[in-house]
Amino acid sequence: MKKKVLSVLLCAAMVATLAIGCGGNGGDGGNAGDDKQSTSDDANKGGDDADKGGSDKKVLAVVPKSAGNPYNEREVAGFEEVAKAAGYEVVVKYPEQATADAQQSVIQSLISQDVDAICLAANDENALQASLEDAMAAGIKVCCMDSKVNAASRATFVNQAGTKEIGETLMEAVYDLADGEGKWAILSATSQAANQNAWIDAMKEIMKDEKYSKLELVEVAYGDDEPQKSTDQTQALLEKYSDLKVICAPTTVGINAAAKVLQDKGSSVKLTGLGLPSEMAEYIGEDDEHSCPYMYLWNPIDVGKLGAYVSIALVEGDITGAEGETFTAGDLGEYTIVDAGDGGTEIILGAPFKFDPSNIEEWKEIY
Amino acid sequence: MAGKSGRTIAHVPEKSVKKTLLCWESMLVVLFIFINIFGQGISPNYQASNVLREMPRYLAEMFLMLPMAYLLVLGEIDISVGATVCLSATMACMVCNTGAPFIVVILTALAVGTACGLLNGIILTKFTELPPMIVTLGTQIMFRGIAEITLGSGGSVSLQNTEGFRAISGRVGGLIPYVFFVLLIFAVIFTVVLAKTTFGRSMYAIGTNRQAAYYSGVPVQKYRLIVYTVMGTMAGLCALFLTAYLYGANTTTGNGFEMDAIAMAVFGGIASTGGKGRLIGGIISGFVIICLRVALGLINMNPQLILIILGILLILAVMLPNVSAQIGQMRKKAMKK
Repeated sequence: MKKKVLSVLLCAAMVATLAIGCGGNGGDGGNAGDDKQSTSDDANKGGDDADKGGSDKKVLAVVPKSAGNPYNEREVAGFEEVAKAAGYEVVVKYPEQATADAQQSVIQSLISQDVDAICLAANDENALQASLEDAMAAGIKVCCMDSKVNAASRATFVNQAGTKEIGETLMEAVYDLADGEGKWAILSATSQAANQNAWIDAMKEIMKDEKYSKLELVEVAYGDDEPQKSTDQTQALLEKYSDLKVICAPTTVGINAAAKVLQDKGSSVKLTGLGLPSEMAEYIGEDDEHSCPYMYLWNPIDVGKLGAYVSIALVEGDITGAEGETFTAGDLGEYTIVDAGDGGTEIILGAPFKFDPSNIEEWKEIY
Repeated sequence: MAGKSGRTIAHVPEKSVKKTLLCWESMLVVLFIFINIFGQGISPNYQASNVLREMPRYLAEMFLMLPMAYLLVLGEIDISVGATVCLSATMACMVCNTGAPFIVVILTALAVGTACGLLNGIILTKFTELPPMIVTLGTQIMFRGIAEITLGSGGSVSLQNTEGFRAISGRVGGLIPYVFFVLLIFAVIFTVVLAKTTFGRSMYAIGTNRQAAYYSGVPVQKYRLIVYTVMGTMAGLCALFLTAYLYGANTTTGNGFEMDAIAMAVFGGIASTGGKGRLIGGIISGFVIICLRVALGLINMNPQLILIILGILLILAVMLPNVSAQIGQMRKKAMKK
């Protein structure tokens, strides 16, 4: 008797598994409306079409750092816009966590799916080399945007702004806000984010100049791009250094958290860095009511767009990623591939853009 | 092979064919076959070559499942293994970057892992009343802390010379990764030892009733120390293969591996309360979980949704024996009336 019951239950479990599997699938389709995973759904349909011999669209994959990062989502939106307009399938594949380990699985899965190009924002510079070499060996064109992988793992890199330009711009802003002297601190993302570290190193390099000799960088704090941890780190900085004048946060999550802390406390510490206009609008102002007089960013939508143009150019064979090649990126204009200084090449989107009280109202609507 | 009690394997009552067919392990085999059919149904890219290429990272996790199953049978747990993997991988990379021969790198990974496991084992056998969950939570934080200090402000280390690691991440015939065979060898050893030796049987005895096992002459503390130490060694092995695919280590390496290993074992029918389950179940369930992940990944399902599905499956797997036992009891009562 007991055995029968057990067998019935086990069968039920199997059916349940089936239902969950398919149900999950259906749920995915249901999500299509809110655009997050919709493209993958489209890709599935694309696959089905291909079986029927209807569509032979090429597939471009984009791999962000993690899900739920507004900045990454804008990049993805830009990528999709260009790639779809040009008649390509787009697969957006988010990793499970914001780690290289999770991105590694994602890349392996994309190799199995035989996509034509992968454009990724890497969580670690070197950790993805093995997988990306596999991908390139399988004939997939690999480029990265926002945060790069090492030279051996990519064809080229879409750099949102030259590391040196960002360092110079931010250093100048700190100098201006601190009136040329005093203590300042950096609030970064994770300690291993390649782009963050490159900018911080660039700022330290520029600080060696005589002009900045009266500025003292007291600490580089890491908020891990988590709102709560960034808030805690900001508060810790304020407590530790009572005479702190400026905080520079070159990360969108960090600057947002810091802006709220400073503004709520009515602190005299001024903030600058790299932030999203839509999130930062309420904190931007020249008076003491506001914590951030001005900040910088490039347009993440444009980063994504350029990423898509580069992927397309690579797939079509217009470029190979070698230094000196030029291509046209739609309405973004003409770009030239330059040496990235790490043994590979890069394409620089442009100089960072300044957001201040005069233009923030206009930009906050855009992204 | 006679046990200490004098009971021999031959005296174990033979199971009926029906019972063998109905056991959890055979259900898992069915599930495994089903998932493979399901995978091929949902994606034309679900092919052996692709699955085998995507598998190694998950196979590395299965090294942890083998000794974890022993611990679960003992009625214990080790949640520090993820951190041990991180520390072993970090140290192996550091040693590799000094230009040491690859054999030294391998030994470093294994030695660091073993040392971590040994530390857990010593604490838990010297102070037998301490709960393993809490002690290994402590060492987990400790090991990760040491790894983070070693990694320094950059938070990551990358291999300057990947030659040795490239060699161990190779594939037989360009298809089956080496790690698969290494895992297979260890899986056979661990399964046979647990099922067929006095040592393995003692695991069940200790897990069922530690006091009774002690009084019947089982060297309980010695065996616990051995299992915790082996757990560490396997974490070192896992770190070695993981590094072969990531060419480095960082502060997030091995994050959550302990839970994945526990999930594989529990889904395989090894009860976390101790004394129950067979390792073969854990091994099959490991492959079930891997294949499911790969299949759902191929249709680009939201990764968080995949985790939810795995979570539901795990709870169902744990619930089933309970529910069936309850129903069985209810039936008995009804029949008596």
